[in-house]
Amino acid sequence: MQPRKVLVVDDSKLMHKMYEVMLRQYPLVYALDGRQALERLREHPDVDLVLLDINMPNMNGLEFLAQLRSDGARPDVTVVIISTEGREEDTARGLEAGADAYIKKPFHSEEILDVIQRLEAKGSAA
Amino acid sequence: MSATESPKSRLESPAVGLDLVAELRATLERAGELVRVVESNLRAPAEGTEGASSDERIAELERRLATAESDVKELASRLVDSEHQGGRLMNLYVATYQLHATLDPAEVQATIAEIAINLLGAHQFVLLLRRDEEGGGYEIALLEGMYDGVLPLYDGESYQGGDPMVDQTLRDGVLRLGPTGESQALAAVPLRVQNDIVGALVVLKLLDHKPILRAEDRDLLDLLSAHAASAMFAARLFATKDRKLRTLESLVKLARGE
Repeated sequence: MQPRKVLVVDDSKLMHKMYEVMLRQYPLVYALDGRQALERLREHPDVDLVLLDINMPNMNGLEFLAQLRSDGARPDVTVVIISTEGREEDTARGLEAGADAYIKKPFHSEEILDVIQRLEAKGSAA
Repeated sequence: MSATESPKSRLESPAVGLDLVAELRATLERAGELVRVVESNLRAPAEGTEGASSDERIAELERRLATAESDVKELASRLVDSEHQGGRLMNLYVATYQLHATLDPAEVQATIAEIAINLLGAHQFVLLLRRDEEGGGYEIALLEGMYDGVLPLYDGESYQGGDPMVDQTLRDGVLRLGPTGESQALAAVPLRVQNDIVGALVVLKLLDHKPILRAEDRDLLDLLSAHAASAMFAARLFATKDRKLRTLESLVKLARGE
């Protein structure tokens, strides 16, 4: 199942541009922090994949994820954390918080596309 | 992509690498189909009752199968290379685009930091920009990742020299990779505006999960060397001119009694 819309949550405009070029086959919406991301999810109910940075102002990625998973309004949304935080405990913390995958920056574009394809295949099989 | 296409136009067309990948993927699929056909042909006579001519046919088909398998391996390897190349071109395109997307000096500086962190994997780095006034040394325009204390050489507003590798790069404009016996810097990247060396980006530490700078990182360092300073220079020049223009406009308004 192909994502209908992808929400990019990252405070870096460079990364926004990167995702725009890399994922040009998907409709994208953007947020600069977790707070904006929650608003975007409300505005765009067809978002079913979130690419989430961790270190952001106002509300960081883990806080956003905790809120998203606890309110239960969008249990269908797949979340992929993409962060410079690369220690094993960071990955574990992200997955425990409810992320479906964890990718470390800097990444190769194939890593993101592979994860999206894997999650699509998993979604189709379910 | 034509053989005469310039590197600049390649950078402006990041889709080229991805198109190449798609083309290779299609070729790989065709090669896979060929393998399946050859395998099917091999199985058919083996199940039959033909004599010596069948043996010859099997030998021929086996040879063709080996060739097809070898082609598939070669194509798979080229596909991986192309995907990497596409990714590298995309990084370079995005970095260049974003550096020149604004005329706000603070945004250009933020973009340099974002490239260093997100694309290069730098954890600690310093951006040095030459002060134009006499005896000014180098302004520490950006200092990132030194949360447990700033290295003494970069503590303060100016860098006055002291790291031999960095100093040499600031003198001759040559990109150097470390660390060396005299310097703990991992990279000293000269920043050029035309042929003038106006500063350096000094990478001191990478993220823990990125142990070394890879060959592909060299492209990004070269890009920063060529584009970061000119983007910064253009933005600062614009900001100065804009400020002067606003002052003049205010004076004109005042003179007119508006």
